[in-house]
Amino acid sequence: MPTRSAGARVERLIGASEALVLAGASVIIVGALSAVVSRSPRAGLTVQSIGVVLLGAAGVWVLASGHAVGAAFRSDVRPAFGVDGLSGFFLLVIAVVGAPATLFARDALEADGRGRSLALATGVFLLALVGFVCARDVSTFLGFWELMTLVPAAAILLARQDREARHGVFVYLAITHIGGAGVWVSMLVLAQHGALGGHPLGGGLAAFVACASLVGFSTKAGLMPLHSWLPRAHPLAPAHISALMSGVMIKLALYGLVRVLFQWLAPPGLWVGITLMAVGALSCVGGVLYALMQHELKRLLAFHSIENVGIVALGLGASLVFGDIGQPTWSAIAFAAALLHALNHALFKGLLFLGAGAFSKAVGSLELDRLGGLLRRMPWTGAAFALGAMAIAGLPPLNGFASEWLTLQSLLHLGVASHLGVALAGALATAALAATAALAVYCFVKVIGLVLLGLPRRAECAQASEVPVGMRASMVFLAGSCVALGVLPGLLVPTLAALGPGRVTLPAGAGLSVPGTGSLPTLALALALVVSVGVLARLARSPRAAPAPAWVCGQLPAAGLAWKAAGFTKPLRLVLEVLFRAHREVQVSVSAGVVQSITYKAEVPHLFDTLLYGPVSQAALRAAGVARRLQSGSLRAYLIYLLALLGLLLALARIGVLG
Amino acid sequence: MSLATLIAGVIQVAGGVLGAPAIVGLIQHLKARLQGRRGPPVLQPYRELRRLWGKSGVAPEPHTFIYTLAPALAAASTALVLLLLPIGGHAPDWGLGNDALVLVGLLALARFTVTLAAWDTAGAFGLMGAARDLMFSVFVDGLLLLVLVLLALPLHSTDLLSMSHVATLPEVWARPAHWAAALTFCLVILAETGRQPVDNPDTHLELTMVHEGPLLEYAGRDLAYLQWAAAARHWIMLVLACELLIPHPGPFVAQLAVLAAGVPALSVALAVCETVQAKMRVLRVPLLLGSGAALCLLGLASWFAGGGG
Repeated sequence: MPTRSAGARVERLIGASEALVLAGASVIIVGALSAVVSRSPRAGLTVQSIGVVLLGAAGVWVLASGHAVGAAFRSDVRPAFGVDGLSGFFLLVIAVVGAPATLFARDALEADGRGRSLALATGVFLLALVGFVCARDVSTFLGFWELMTLVPAAAILLARQDREARHGVFVYLAITHIGGAGVWVSMLVLAQHGALGGHPLGGGLAAFVACASLVGFSTKAGLMPLHSWLPRAHPLAPAHISALMSGVMIKLALYGLVRVLFQWLAPPGLWVGITLMAVGALSCVGGVLYALMQHELKRLLAFHSIENVGIVALGLGASLVFGDIGQPTWSAIAFAAALLHALNHALFKGLLFLGAGAFSKAVGSLELDRLGGLLRRMPWTGAAFALGAMAIAGLPPLNGFASEWLTLQSLLHLGVASHLGVALAGALATAALAATAALAVYCFVKVIGLVLLGLPRRAECAQASEVPVGMRASMVFLAGSCVALGVLPGLLVPTLAALGPGRVTLPAGAGLSVPGTGSLPTLALALALVVSVGVLARLARSPRAAPAPAWVCGQLPAAGLAWKAAGFTKPLRLVLEVLFRAHREVQVSVSAGVVQSITYKAEVPHLFDTLLYGPVSQAALRAAGVARRLQSGSLRAYLIYLLALLGLLLALARIGVLG
Repeated sequence: MSLATLIAGVIQVAGGVLGAPAIVGLIQHLKARLQGRRGPPVLQPYRELRRLWGKSGVAPEPHTFIYTLAPALAAASTALVLLLLPIGGHAPDWGLGNDALVLVGLLALARFTVTLAAWDTAGAFGLMGAARDLMFSVFVDGLLLLVLVLLALPLHSTDLLSMSHVATLPEVWARPAHWAAALTFCLVILAETGRQPVDNPDTHLELTMVHEGPLLEYAGRDLAYLQWAAAARHWIMLVLACELLIPHPGPFVAQLAVLAAGVPALSVALAVCETVQAKMRVLRVPLLLGSGAALCLLGLASWFAGGGG
């Protein structure tokens, strides 16, 4: 019975979780294709979201059971796929953003050619993300890595064809490819020495690989100073692609970094951890400082992605340093903190980008100074957005607080660790993260205030209405997940710690009880907060609340005097004038002693662009100009080049350099 | 539950809820006396709260549920902080843990809700105060965390109970790191309680307000909650100073005595500081706090220079 035995073999080869992965991937393919052939992309996107959910379920299965499926990592170029615990976790990250994002796109995309091709791009993007996480050999790893970079660029160009979009995509591709060379170099060296799935690479070459991978992966992750593409590219994409880029894609770069630094290299020494922490601290403080100065919602959110990737990098760096100074428990805790923050950031940043997309659909431009009053007019979107903003600001009892608490504890315990150098790094990183959290609160108070509260600042906002139910449902799902992970982070943290170095087991429970801390009983805190707020609010309810205008020293509030983004952040801008170097231009035109008009222009330049990227690209252009002179087009010149080369080679061979 | 824990629990709640306004009253009274005025009696804040409790609230136009819920949320998160505080090195197990960073998070939540409520009514003065308050918080939070690093050095723990145990050890007198933390914490107290030279809580000039600004739009019970929360922040900061920073002997009764003497003594110090010190320019405050950060890093260096013990 040949067919029967083949069936049995297939059954033996494919376990349930493998079947889920295969089913999920093929369902996404079907969804992507059906979005193209049918008239409206809606059905195809629904199918895609089902596929993503299946993949997420497979990821959770592998993560919970601890049994890897499929191939193991190998250092050759024959394509191989598999899922282990770490890949399973990142499949979960893809699913929690991918499913709501596709559901959102279902209502957000138009039923025209552009909508259909964007739906196809969404499907391909999801497949690229999944493929990268499941790749088990060098060729698929690098192939999906490139695809993951290129598909969003295509999606941006499908959605917008204006000059700004083309330039943004150019910068994105240029920076990620120049930096991304580090990934190719490190992967090929690792594969050449059999470090994938074999013995971790050690010695001097390991230092080289560590440097190359830090450059390569941190470019794609958006870590400062290689971040400059991120605030340009993310705001251009359609909302659901932005959510996937910011929530998932940049996290997968960190996934690659984790693979290299924690698995394929032998413990690489203290300096790698300290470097990663320094880059992380720079990114989190720099990211949030520039976010505060932004006036456009999506660009602001993009800068916050830099901040949050920085927080994850702080956790990973701390984990490496703890490993080096011989504290495996804290190494595992810091590792778990980093992964938890990656998941949390995927949730709330996905939510915030989808919310921005919903606002943009309702009112058009997302210029912060020209929004306002949307909480009343879009209660579902507004409330979900506010919840996401609280989560990203790291406020209890939401998920951002849980992971920032764990990261902060790791850094603080680094500050009390073995010797002065490490302790100073830990203490400074602790203070930096605390300041970052306070700055994030500052920024999101501003965002909620300008977008959701107060009076509408233009006519479109006054007439805004709530978005369709699919978009609302996806945002409510993400907001609910932010609450759930904020209340029950303890369900996930021990599993994540077990993935990290040292295979440490932590006590399970709803909250986080970590040795050396006063513990974070999230569930009890959340309950106590809700109950006491309820009681106090009930006690305070006074039926005779008198209507009154806001207090403006007895005058009537005037719309022209409403606060704007620049005014609210001005105290900080003045205090940190050295860092911001804001330009300010006031022109007063006077004729016949009477002021006719006053024009005011102010901006905060992005110093990385003016001081780092500007000079580098100028120098590159100048070098190109010099190099062009060599290409004279004259045959004689080329003959001379050939002769000179020949002479050089002969000379080198004569003195024995060329063997 | 031992007797000490029970007493500690009673003081946590009663001291924080009932005793806190007396600290504000004491400071106001002493300040007036030092300035040669008769001033309000120490119990004046209680009368204020009673008066406010009987008054009706205000419904400014525009407002949403954020304005309505903010006072309750600010008061609730401050109230939860009261339950985290160690009293005489003891605290009952309320199920909320005793972590120092949770305390910082809850205070941030209170600040977030009040400043957000300022946006809800969009009054110019409220937002002016809110912006300054948030700007200070960036530096204060960083500084507070550095203090906590220094205090966590001996026992490697951010548990407030074990941190308060550190201050009972005799060798704490000889630790420069501890004194650096104590000095820096004084700056944190000034900023968190909104006292001069950082902020002037008795001002009636809207343009100079920091913490008071967002409270302008409130009345009645809502305002009572917010004023109580401000008073409770005094209690929280002063109790933390007595428990974690002032070296004290081990027995519970002796620790209670230190607390009973320390909180009024620190209130007097705040009153004196407010009398002799003019309010600082808002933009100079971060420099003051930055000097604290430098002190903390020196303290950290001294710890490891002394061999980590």
